[in-house]
Amino acid sequence: MHIRHVRNELLGALQTVVGVVERRQTLPILSNVFLEARDAELVVRATDLEIEMEVSTPVQNLKPGKVTAPARKLYDILRGLSEGAEVSFEIAEEGRMLVRSGKSRFTLATLGAEEFPSLAGIQADTQVTLTHKALRSLIERVSFAMAQQDVRYYLNGMLLHIGPQWVRAVATDGHRLAMSELALETGVKEDLQIILPRKAVLELARLLDGGDAEVTLSIGGGQIQVQLLNLRITSKLIDGRFPDYERVIPDSQDRRVLGQREKVRAALSRAAILSNEKFRGVRLQLEPDLLRIQTQNPEREEAEEEVEVELDGEPMEIGFNVTYLLDALDAMKTENFVLELRGPDASGLLFEAGESTHSKYVVMPMRL
Amino acid sequence: MLGSVKMTTIKQLPEVLINQIKAGEVVERPAAVVKELVENALDAGARRVVVELEQGGLRRILVRDDGRGIPREELPLALARHATSKIASLDDLERVASLGFRGEALASILAVSRLSLSSRTAVEPHGWRLGGEGGLASAEPVPAAQAQGTAVEVLDLFFSTPARRKFMKSPGTEARHVETALRRLALARPDVAFALSHDGRRLLDVEPAEDAAANERRLAAVCGAEFLANAIYREAELGGLRLAGWIALPSFSRAQPDLQFLTVNGRGVRDRLLGAALRRAYADALHSTRHPAFVLALTLDPAAVDVNVHPQKTEVRFREAARVHDFLFGLVHRWLRELRPEPEHHHGVGFGSAAEPAREPQPYALPLSTAPRLGEPPGRYFAAPAASAPTWAGLAEVSRAAVPAPPGATSPVEHPLGYAVAQLHGIFILAQNARGLIVVDMHAAHERVLYERYKRELAEGGVPSQALLAPVLVNLPEDEAEAAETQSATLLAAGLQVDRSGPGQLLVRATPALLPSEAVVDLLRQVLGRSSDSGSHAHLGEVLDAQHRVLAEMACKAAIKANRVMSLSEMNALLRDMEQTELAGQCNHGRPTWVQVELAELDRLFLRGR
Ligand SMILES: Nc1ncnc2c1ncn2[C@@H]1O[C@H](COP(=O)(O)OP(=O)(O)OP(=O)(O)O)[C@@H](O)[C@H]1O
Ligand SMILES: [Mg+2]
Repeated sequence: MHIRHVRNELLGALQTVVGVVERRQTLPILSNVFLEARDAELVVRATDLEIEMEVSTPVQNLKPGKVTAPARKLYDILRGLSEGAEVSFEIAEEGRMLVRSGKSRFTLATLGAEEFPSLAGIQADTQVTLTHKALRSLIERVSFAMAQQDVRYYLNGMLLHIGPQWVRAVATDGHRLAMSELALETGVKEDLQIILPRKAVLELARLLDGGDAEVTLSIGGGQIQVQLLNLRITSKLIDGRFPDYERVIPDSQDRRVLGQREKVRAALSRAAILSNEKFRGVRLQLEPDLLRIQTQNPEREEAEEEVEVELDGEPMEIGFNVTYLLDALDAMKTENFVLELRGPDASGLLFEAGESTHSKYVVMPMRL
Repeated sequence: MLGSVKMTTIKQLPEVLINQIKAGEVVERPAAVVKELVENALDAGARRVVVELEQGGLRRILVRDDGRGIPREELPLALARHATSKIASLDDLERVASLGFRGEALASILAVSRLSLSSRTAVEPHGWRLGGEGGLASAEPVPAAQAQGTAVEVLDLFFSTPARRKFMKSPGTEARHVETALRRLALARPDVAFALSHDGRRLLDVEPAEDAAANERRLAAVCGAEFLANAIYREAELGGLRLAGWIALPSFSRAQPDLQFLTVNGRGVRDRLLGAALRRAYADALHSTRHPAFVLALTLDPAAVDVNVHPQKTEVRFREAARVHDFLFGLVHRWLRELRPEPEHHHGVGFGSAAEPAREPQPYALPLSTAPRLGEPPGRYFAAPAASAPTWAGLAEVSRAAVPAPPGATSPVEHPLGYAVAQLHGIFILAQNARGLIVVDMHAAHERVLYERYKRELAEGGVPSQALLAPVLVNLPEDEAEAAETQSATLLAAGLQVDRSGPGQLLVRATPALLPSEAVVDLLRQVLGRSSDSGSHAHLGEVLDAQHRVLAEMACKAAIKANRVMSLSEMNALLRDMEQTELAGQCNHGRPTWVQVELAELDRLFLRGR
């Protein structure tokens, strides 16, 4: 293999995939990237056995061939070279790849390309096509609520619930839940639920642009594949049953607070400064036309904020983890939001004010 | 037919065989024989008990006492089964104050050995002996030369039960078991002299302790000088319960639970409930693989304890198990937390060969060559008045009385941990105090300071509880679900909200905000599973303990890391914090946070003899 190309293009390709390379590896080849020169392209692939990313970039192909080389080191080398420099990769001898640019020479240890694991070869039973913008919005509105390293492994990801008329994204960590719905003629006949692992969700969020170009999700055989222009992401799906989220979302509550999202968000984040940093508890006192926010920390420092809101229903008091409230408000876009409550021991429901309420946020209270 | 048993008709076993089977429960080895005989001596008011062994007791055991003796006409009864002078009615059984109460021990020993019982009361002109063999007491006592008291000689133990005899270990091992048993008894009764010899070799010889100092000497003789040097004496009484004894500093932990002596009304016991209470009390300051050391005596109304639960009388049952647990846990927990840095009484560190090799390699504790140095003047480089360096004995005196030293007696306070002089390799703080050099592991020390602060905050602020999106269903035995229901208020105070949803079903609705909710389900199972078998609610405290473990982790993460440069004032602030902090001597994993290096040790390094 021998290719040549400008540094920025090569760096861009590597940057796209290097994120999936785990820093600590027990299987040495997994810290490498797969490189293949074929036709006028260089294919760059990385995997952690759960997710695989493959990107191709046009290069000057002097000699076809394939190899795997240390991902981080190659990435760091490219990053260190000057902007417009021309770079070449060449298999110089068995087990060595030569990286050259101007007066710089690097000889990297390589491992055989045949051993590099691959997830490819998906049998797509279902295909759903939607815009970048729509998919990105689904992810952005719920991904913060995904669990992290929970033993309930099915929570460490995002549910995609695909019905004939809509696609829903749902995430929960057991204390709060986020759900967002997109109206779409999906073409599926029966509801389909899949759980995307956390890492795949975060990579997708990073790589999707907000445009109107279309992306296709191919699902089948316990995998999902997303093709984005010259980039292909393949991920295993989490094999598990996601909790019945529809049961958790309350339908009618007897108290309804209408507030200005930015105002309440700002007040909450100021009050959060003096909340107990371990529990992040915040007390909400609802009075007619007034929301009082109180926090206190172990040093007995206190914050109190008052924000104008419209309350429909009886006054009450309730405690929450302030982070959960802030996350939900941050994920919203509208000027006003609604918080619905039943009582101090029951869940709170937040959503955007307006006709089109596509996203819902359920937050469980905290007894302080 | 292969493996079949020859069928015979059902027959009553001969008396001799019944006795031998029963005896096996009471006396399974020489140590058990000695324990029974010595307990009899103690019950008889003996002031001195002498035990002689030959061949580990398998050949011969002699136990001699100077107690009140047995009248001639009662000698045959003493050997008879179910004959006792100690209780007479069921009522008595419910409030046993003596060590024996079954009238079983002598008969059991007689069933499996050649036994002779000699005794003389104060009013008899000479003693009487009754001999027996294999359960058959010879009919008539014969006159014997015998001082006031009783002597029981046991020859050829298990000669009639060869199967049992085969299970005996080497004489040396059996003798060691006897020694351990006798040490336990000696600890329980400091007012009695004990002597033990094996094949003519003296293994133990302790005099009655008339005063506290003598008591300490005994303790050192029985448990080792190191234990004494690392233990504090405490006593307290509350609502009819009394606890007294020595608890070792957490840094003096053991790889085995071999220095744990607990008596209940003078009876050495191994009790799971009490063991758990003590483990919990030390949990914060001890690595989970290490064991605390203690010599404690619990005293309470005999009617509140059932001693009749175990053939060897080593287990007891409490009427109010939860209260006893809480009492024991609460006190020891508090005593440990009241400890403050006392350089005289802390990890001294020795350099070079001067230090005696520690008996057991101890990963965390350091050899204690210097700590219990009696009456040595303080370092020569500092002009501290000699009187301000309390001797070990003096210190013990103060702690024994459980009152703080009178304010006038304390010299102008020097901070126990002294003043920082430098930071070493970004890991240690070097400070000097009157006795020499203090070395502090800054991360470990800061971790403990933070951990204690976090716990205090949790205790003051209440335990916030985070509701779950969907309640978690837990299946468990009915009695455990029952326990959870009756104690739901206690659980709620610890942050756990559970509802009973079926005979053997609970719904967990909210969990302590500090704990990951899935961890709570296991914890709940564990807590309830244990609490119902000891009939105690006390273990619900473990819900709180689990939160403390999370705080401990947070403290570890938040504590200053190696290579953080500290100014002198920062270091001094940490030293002052440590002096105010409970259990500041150990990090959360039981490693010491600081050591004292004596000037004398430094002198020795430079051959600066006195
Ligand atoms: N060393 C002794 N001095 C005085 N009396 C003794 C002594 N040893 C035994 N006795 C008497 O003999 C009786 C029987 O002793 P034995 O040890 O068999 O039973 P116990 O002590 O009453 O009950 P246990 O079976 O629980 O030990 C005692 O009740 C006591 O009266
Ligand atoms: Mg007895």
